[in-house]
Amino acid sequence: MVKTERIEAEADEPTPSSAWLIGAAAWFVPGLGHGLLKKWPRALLMGGAVWLCFFIGLNMGGHMFDLNAAEGSSQLLQVPPMIANLGTGALYIISWLLGYGFADDPAQAARATYEYGNTFLLIAGLLNYLTMLDAFDIAAGRKS
Amino acid sequence: MTLFAALASIVFGAMGKETTQERWLYGVKVFAEFMVIGLVLSWVLYFIP
Repeated sequence: MVKTERIEAEADEPTPSSAWLIGAAAWFVPGLGHGLLKKWPRALLMGGAVWLCFFIGLNMGGHMFDLNAAEGSSQLLQVPPMIANLGTGALYIISWLLGYGFADDPAQAARATYEYGNTFLLIAGLLNYLTMLDAFDIAAGRKS
Repeated sequence: MTLFAALASIVFGAMGKETTQERWLYGVKVFAEFMVIGLVLSWVLYFIP
């Protein structure tokens, strides 16, 4: 089957509802999507990288973004990094509920690793979005 | 930077290609690209006041 025929054939097939659930699980707990698909090495590698990235970011003194804008800053500017942070799913939600990792005071910002920590936290979320899409594609049968 | 490159290349490598060997190669390639570009950029920025 040539590529255009394959794309047309795939377009006709509806996405199974389980793929959406796997995608949601993969977003909520990094690595869980591949775990449910019994792709253990990938679950460990991809999920592990996201968890590690997140905790390294927190330990470096980074902070996550929410809609509460700092003084002199626009609320709109908080949205893109918040979307990136939100990619870590339950890790973000639990931290938000506990009020941990959202402090953005001058003492914390003075730490040498503050910006590195922010970057690690943002990247953890973005990597988990990739992991989620990979798990979704595997569950939908578009990829092995 | 090394840690960041390693973590990102693990995810890129794991989802990138079809076979395990291709994935390893792709992961190593992405890691090397992160490192080389990071070092080149940092030296370029070092000379810019």
